[in-house]
Amino acid sequence: MYVELKHINKHFGNFKASDDVTVGIEKGKLIGLLGPSGSGKTTILRMIAGLENPDSGEIIIDGKVINDVPASKRGIGFVFQSYALFRYMTVFDNVAFGLKIAKKPANEIKERVHELLELVGLSGLEKRYPSELSGGQRQRVAFARALAPNPQLLLLDEPFAAIDAKVRQELRSWLKGMIQKLGVTSIFVTHDQDEAIEVADEIIITNRGRIEQVGTPYEVYSNPKTAFTASFFGQPSIFKDYSNFRRFDVLENAENAIVRPEFVKVTKKTEVQKYKNSAEEGVVEEVDFRGYGIELRVRVNGVLLTARRSFDQPRIKVGEKVDVFIYRMFVTQGDTATLLENKSLREPVVVI
Amino acid sequence: MSTAIQGGLHRDTKGSKLVRYSLIGISLLFVFLMLILPLITVITEAFKQGFAVYSKAVADDYTIKAILLTLEASFFAVAINTVFGLCAAWSLTKFKFKGKKILATLIDLPVTVSPIIAGLIFLLTFGRQSPIFPLLQDADIKIVFAVPGIVLATIFVTFPFISRELIPVLESQGTDEEEAAALMGAKGFTIFRRITFPHIKWAFLYGVVLCAARAMGEFGAVSVISGHLRGKTNTLPLHVEILFNEFQYVPAFAVASILVMLAILILVARSVIEHKGRKK
Repeated sequence: MYVELKHINKHFGNFKASDDVTVGIEKGKLIGLLGPSGSGKTTILRMIAGLENPDSGEIIIDGKVINDVPASKRGIGFVFQSYALFRYMTVFDNVAFGLKIAKKPANEIKERVHELLELVGLSGLEKRYPSELSGGQRQRVAFARALAPNPQLLLLDEPFAAIDAKVRQELRSWLKGMIQKLGVTSIFVTHDQDEAIEVADEIIITNRGRIEQVGTPYEVYSNPKTAFTASFFGQPSIFKDYSNFRRFDVLENAENAIVRPEFVKVTKKTEVQKYKNSAEEGVVEEVDFRGYGIELRVRVNGVLLTARRSFDQPRIKVGEKVDVFIYRMFVTQGDTATLLENKSLREPVVVI
Repeated sequence: MSTAIQGGLHRDTKGSKLVRYSLIGISLLFVFLMLILPLITVITEAFKQGFAVYSKAVADDYTIKAILLTLEASFFAVAINTVFGLCAAWSLTKFKFKGKKILATLIDLPVTVSPIIAGLIFLLTFGRQSPIFPLLQDADIKIVFAVPGIVLATIFVTFPFISRELIPVLESQGTDEEEAAALMGAKGFTIFRRITFPHIKWAFLYGVVLCAARAMGEFGAVSVISGHLRGKTNTLPLHVEILFNEFQYVPAFAVASILVMLAILILVARSVIEHKGRKK
């Protein structure tokens, strides 16, 4: 493990920002720290950077405990949420700042800055001030500035939060590609699950100061281990009592059932469906246009579920009675989540 | 169509012509009566008996000493309040500590307390009745009825000016840029010089100008503690009062006109600073 946190605790007054955080990060990986606001993800990032000190626990980088190493000596590049570009310095001076502080020779600084600006595609803008740049350009400058002293570890706090939606998409793939190309171990904080899934090699999910789960985007999305992770991803419908859905095993002490839209198949009464016999009847309450297709809100056994259909399928109207088949659901018991499959999937199907 | 609507909105929000002209008229009349008329009076009274009398009054030994003392007190007040103002504004905006709110409130005290009371405080703290007076006398330090007392009183009265200008600017800046610089290994003074100061420069200069203006004009607190010793502890405003009380009207107005000119000078400096600051 390149970066390791061991039993880290951190309080801000009465607020517990980190609660026995233990996690490891491999060298060269791009890690997403994902969680709702107030879950302690930024605190973890700031403690690794040395901007905050943990109350207890150890932070280890490259085999060395660095709790007492000052932030500036940790060899870390940090990209702030609002970029924190020096507004009274030009792009060149912003990128050169760290090198000047390190007392590098002037020609070396000049070379390195030009190399970096070339890399991030901002050559020719050396003399601009941050206020004369677009949001995306500012992020690129912040990125170049953080990389200038050749850090071993790059930390990014909500790197896409301050950028409008369209450019954000573009920057996500740009940043991912750039970090892969450089091979620098990177950790970025985000509250946006799509962003984490799209950009990260591995996701660390935080909630209330604790680490909920660590894994590849595929793992944490499709195989959530905790109640929080199960309910965090996707666009879940959560309800208490699932005993009316008879095709699922009944677990003891079950608290909530969680059904994601992709677990639900909605078909018209007239449509052919493989599991028609075990489908439940539902009434459509809402039909919304979503660009990629249609989003439906269907009430089944008193529970409102969200489902999706494509434009190619026959139209469904509000108030229509439909067949609803649920492939799977997550059921939570205390802190853990269990994936239940519809029993019909295991039974031999007789198509009439 | 849309311009018609805009026109209508414009009228609704800006009021009718009658309201507009009467509001502007009242403001102008008020400024004329309260500010311009007195200024004109000061100047005309000063030159009433011709330029020779005016220049004699201005070049008078006591007047020159009063000017120098005023500049001296203002200089010390501005210098010391600059240091204090920077420290206070910095700690109030960049650190979290107990008693922060109390400190923020106390800084404003000199604005709310009458200057006379400020003068009395120093008189009682350092004067003959004070328990520390014998100590001061042993050390041969004179504060009351001497220049140090005047400087102290001036500092007291003017100390919120610089910090009050800086606090909003520092607050809006946040600490991100400083943190970024610190992460790259910059030390405290470098961070201040390269990151923080460029940001607060204009607000800072504006605060210095306001502080200087207030220091030069201070009367109440200084009057209590100075003892009015002509040529020794007489500042310009005190000198004006003495001349006036001796029925020397022309010299009184002549000296007052110096203060007025200083004020106008400062006003010009202020506008220049404001203008430059806004352009940045």
